Amino acid sequence: MYLSLNCLKDFVKIPKKITPTELSDLLTMHTVEVEGWQAQSQIFDRVVVGKVLSVSPHPSADRLRLVQVDVKKETLAIVCGAPNVAQGQRVPVALIGAKLPNGLIIKESIIRGEKSFGMICAEDELGLGPDHEGIMVLADHAKVGQNFADYLGLDDIILEIDNKSLSNRGDLWGHYGMARELGALLKTPLRPYLQINESILQPIGKDSVAVKLEDKNICPRYLAVKINKVKMMESPRWLKERLVAVGARPINALVDITNYVMLESGQPLHAFDASGIKKISVRLSRAGESLETLDGKDRLLPESSIIITDGSEPLAIAGIMGGLKSAINDQTTSIILEAATFDAVAVRKASQRLNLRTEASMRFEKTLDPNLPSVAWQRAWQLIKEIMPEAELAGEPTDVINFKLESEPLAVDFSWLKKKLGYKLSRKDAINILERLGFRVSLSKNVLLVTTPTWRAVKDVVIKEDVLEEVARIVGYNNIAASSPAVALSLLPDNPELRLERNIQDILSGAGGLHEVYNYSFLSEASLTKLNLEPTRYLKLVNPISEQHVFLRHNLLVGLLQNVRLNQFNYHSFGLFELGRIFLPLPGDYIKDAKGELLPYQGKRLGLMIAGADSAAVFSRAKGLVELLSRTLWPQSVAEFTALENSPLWAQPNQVAGIYVAGRELGLVGLLENKVTTSFGIKLKVAFVELNFQDLLTLSNSMPSRQYREVSKYPAVVRDVAFVVDEKILYNDFWRLLVNFHPLLNQAELFDVYQGGALAAGSKSWAFHLTYQAKDRTLTAEEIDIIQADLIQACRDRFDAQIRNF
Amino acid sequence: MKHKLEKLRAEFLTALENIQDLPALRDLELKYLSRKGELSGLLGELKDLSVELRREAGEFANVVKQELQTRFNEVQLTLGKQDQVAMFLDATIPGDKLERGYLHPLTLVRRELEDFFATLGFSVLDGPELESEFYNFEALNVPAHHPARDMQDTFYVDLKNKQDEYDLTMRTQTSNTQVRAMQKYGAPLKAIMPGRVFRCEATDARHEHTFYQLEGMMIDKNVNFAHMKSVLEAVGKKLYGPETKLRMRPKFYPFVEPGSNGEYTCFLCQGQGCRVCKHSGWLEIVGCGLVHPNVLRAGGIDPEQYSGFAFGFGLNRLAMLKYNIDDVRLFNGGDLRFLKQF
Repeated sequence: MYLSLNCLKDFVKIPKKITPTELSDLLTMHTVEVEGWQAQSQIFDRVVVGKVLSVSPHPSADRLRLVQVDVKKETLAIVCGAPNVAQGQRVPVALIGAKLPNGLIIKESIIRGEKSFGMICAEDELGLGPDHEGIMVLADHAKVGQNFADYLGLDDIILEIDNKSLSNRGDLWGHYGMARELGALLKTPLRPYLQINESILQPIGKDSVAVKLEDKNICPRYLAVKINKVKMMESPRWLKERLVAVGARPINALVDITNYVMLESGQPLHAFDASGIKKISVRLSRAGESLETLDGKDRLLPESSIIITDGSEPLAIAGIMGGLKSAINDQTTSIILEAATFDAVAVRKASQRLNLRTEASMRFEKTLDPNLPSVAWQRAWQLIKEIMPEAELAGEPTDVINFKLESEPLAVDFSWLKKKLGYKLSRKDAINILERLGFRVSLSKNVLLVTTPTWRAVKDVVIKEDVLEEVARIVGYNNIAASSPAVALSLLPDNPELRLERNIQDILSGAGGLHEVYNYSFLSEASLTKLNLEPTRYLKLVNPISEQHVFLRHNLLVGLLQNVRLNQFNYHSFGLFELGRIFLPLPGDYIKDAKGELLPYQGKRLGLMIAGADSAAVFSRAKGLVELLSRTLWPQSVAEFTALENSPLWAQPNQVAGIYVAGRELGLVGLLENKVTTSFGIKLKVAFVELNFQDLLTLSNSMPSRQYREVSKYPAVVRDVAFVVDEKILYNDFWRLLVNFHPLLNQAELFDVYQGGALAAGSKSWAFHLTYQAKDRTLTAEEIDIIQADLIQACRDRFDAQIRNF
Repeated sequence: MKHKLEKLRAEFLTALENIQDLPALRDLELKYLSRKGELSGLLGELKDLSVELRREAGEFANVVKQELQTRFNEVQLTLGKQDQVAMFLDATIPGDKLERGYLHPLTLVRRELEDFFATLGFSVLDGPELESEFYNFEALNVPAHHPARDMQDTFYVDLKNKQDEYDLTMRTQTSNTQVRAMQKYGAPLKAIMPGRVFRCEATDARHEHTFYQLEGMMIDKNVNFAHMKSVLEAVGKKLYGPETKLRMRPKFYPFVEPGSNGEYTCFLCQGQGCRVCKHSGWLEIVGCGLVHPNVLRAGGIDPEQYSGFAFGFGLNRLAMLKYNIDDVRLFNGGDLRFLKQF
């Protein structure tokens, strides 16, 4: 929203010594955020008064002319399309580099083969009116070369307010509300909004508008008055200037007045052409109703929008936009002026459904003071009478009042107020602040009884904490000195989840050499299809922002694959990991609300991805990382890989294994199917690990704390043995037999796997370092020979394993 | 025997004089001085001699052995030196390249703050990313159709409730965890709640629909505005150094009353005004306020007994300022050329 300093000065005294920057800071530090300010002259930067020296036809375009324009410093050649350009005119010329209010930036250009060094502007291009019939012709006395803003006599300063910072303050959506704030901050007097000669409120006749509220809940107030002997005319220059200053487009005097009163007071008004309207009726729209709005669009009205009707047909969408049929037009002689308050939620819903936000709807949806219509209509009438002296009030205004705003005073204990602020403040100062903002304050012992003004009572100030904020912000947050809270010393509770997260991150990025990534929580439908997954089985967004991000991720695989695709052009071998939530349409752990329903599942997963040139190498590295993680987190346990009955669709059959530690399934590791990597545009071989973080956490919590294991004083004996087995025998089964075989056989470490060569087809060789050690003595060779002979026999019995002796 | 030893000595010394390089020297060592070399062979023959001869020859043999070894060592040392001079070793070449992994910059920034708040006694809590409208809005004093919902464009999840309405969101703020934390732990409470949040808006260099926030809250008896300022001042000093100043101004957030924005003096220009702070001298970092009594009530805490403050930062913004990152999309982009810089 834009604020005109001149307009603010109509209502409140602003000392001359205050600069626009200081004024902006004052509002920013105490009320709302001022995004910046601009002198109005800057708006017409590089727009000057020029004199047309000559006009000649364009050699290759009938409707264009070649114009020579004197701008004092030089004479410019400009190609102009306006029919009304003529020699001798004084005209506004936008020089090269000018940025016009409509956003157009002027550049040197070639138009149909002729060079053009600027533009002669029409009224609409300068934001000064709707006219685009031809260029704007200035008065003959206009000084050639003069800045256009100076010619117009524009001396206003425009402040831009961040609308978001106004979302709770309906009362600040007009200049008068802002003036009130400034009065409180500057401690200068505020003029009453309305200063009117009561005599002009006397109606000529008894032609009052019939108003009916069909639904009382949607319209706290509806005031309508008929005004005769009006006409379509341009606004006077001061009014146009005020509108232009704050970015509103002048249209015609009647419309401009309603807009101007809204900008002053914050109360949107609407003027209907009175012809053919016998009565006004306010109701909710019914299915199928439509209205051609002022902007010429035929709009289907969302059901249950508040509409203004003539008793049957819609005339306007209440609080949003009027209809074209009842709009002010050339034939208008009589209007119905509407000043009303509509239900904020209903206006907001309708505006959202119509995707139509207007200056009026933005204000109504903030909840407006229902007392405003009475001053706003009078102000509008005052201006109409001033601009069209022959205008007459046809009858008394019809004022349907449907609200009560007599709030009980809020009891604010003054010592509570001081305590909550942590600031020493006198009672007198607090009362003074509140009164300058329009609150009425009485005192009962040390309790302030604060009556909220109607413009704040609607929604904004309803509890004592709101009063606290009023005092705090006018005092200034920066004037309250910081002070440390004095609280009882308490132990920070242990946080195993956070600890585990950090451990995992450190292990994987440290010894693991993996890089941590954060991927989006959303996937495209295409990525699900590539994995042969049925999209209907997964959660998705109602309102996705792009087709890349529609479905909620149900694993970390897709994001990591996309990371590999991106990085394969710069790196040939790398590993990544991500720790993040996945989403599934199943009940999860978090409650949804007090009713006890559960939110969808959103557990955390740990995903690892290894990419490189060789399948076996990446798969082996992935498993090595799992072992590293397990070994570091739980030194007393060993990670085991077990064959899977049902391998996931993305994995190569037989190149996928379940991951178990201490008998608990934690996830799986697999080599990506080539078809899948290809479909993701990946040329490298890829292995993927997915671990369920909750299971890792449960396991961690159940693990005994680390214990030192005594190192034996007696030497270990390592025997190397190679077994030949059928290639279908799984390592994990064989290994278990070895390590559980005898208490003196401490370790069995696989150091070589061999196939082919002299080995029979369909068999493979595993070579192990078998470590024998006792805690209480040096083992003898004979002792070990006996154990090992038994072991070899056991392997033969169970796996048909042979000793490889060649 | 003595003769044999002298012959061997002479042969060895002659050969030694002609040695030019270390490999030849090594061959010589193998031939004469090694365990299976000629000298050992001769010494082995000593056992066949009579006791007297053995003693005499033994003594001589030892003298020869020592001499040969000494001369050998001298030559080895000389050749070694020559070799070092001949082969120039560049001491400035880099050592082995040891690969390491990198943590995400947001992890680093998040940890830094988690550790900092731990020193003030704040615990770290986690909350759901897919959140009900109740915890994301209603419980935070944002009823349905409140204009404040405009402040945050919300992603809704395509799963309707029994009333045939969408009531599941991707949380727009970590504040959703406030009421959950109060319900779970009650008062007093000191916690931060970092995490991933979502806004339904188009992405560009400055806007992301998925980013990170860190929320904090303190609830106790008699917690006031001045207390909040002291914690936020400490945060500023932690982030940007001991000279950092805090500036606060009113800002509307439905879940706090009074509500405020916190700005810190720009660390780059020390408040003088520069490109990073858009020439204001201040960096807008934090949103904060005293917890609204309705929010306390939603968390089951009596606002007449307890009060509190809450605050929140955007972690992406902090990381961007800290590392001079100019495009917010890099965080979720997964490009190793970016990630390997932290």
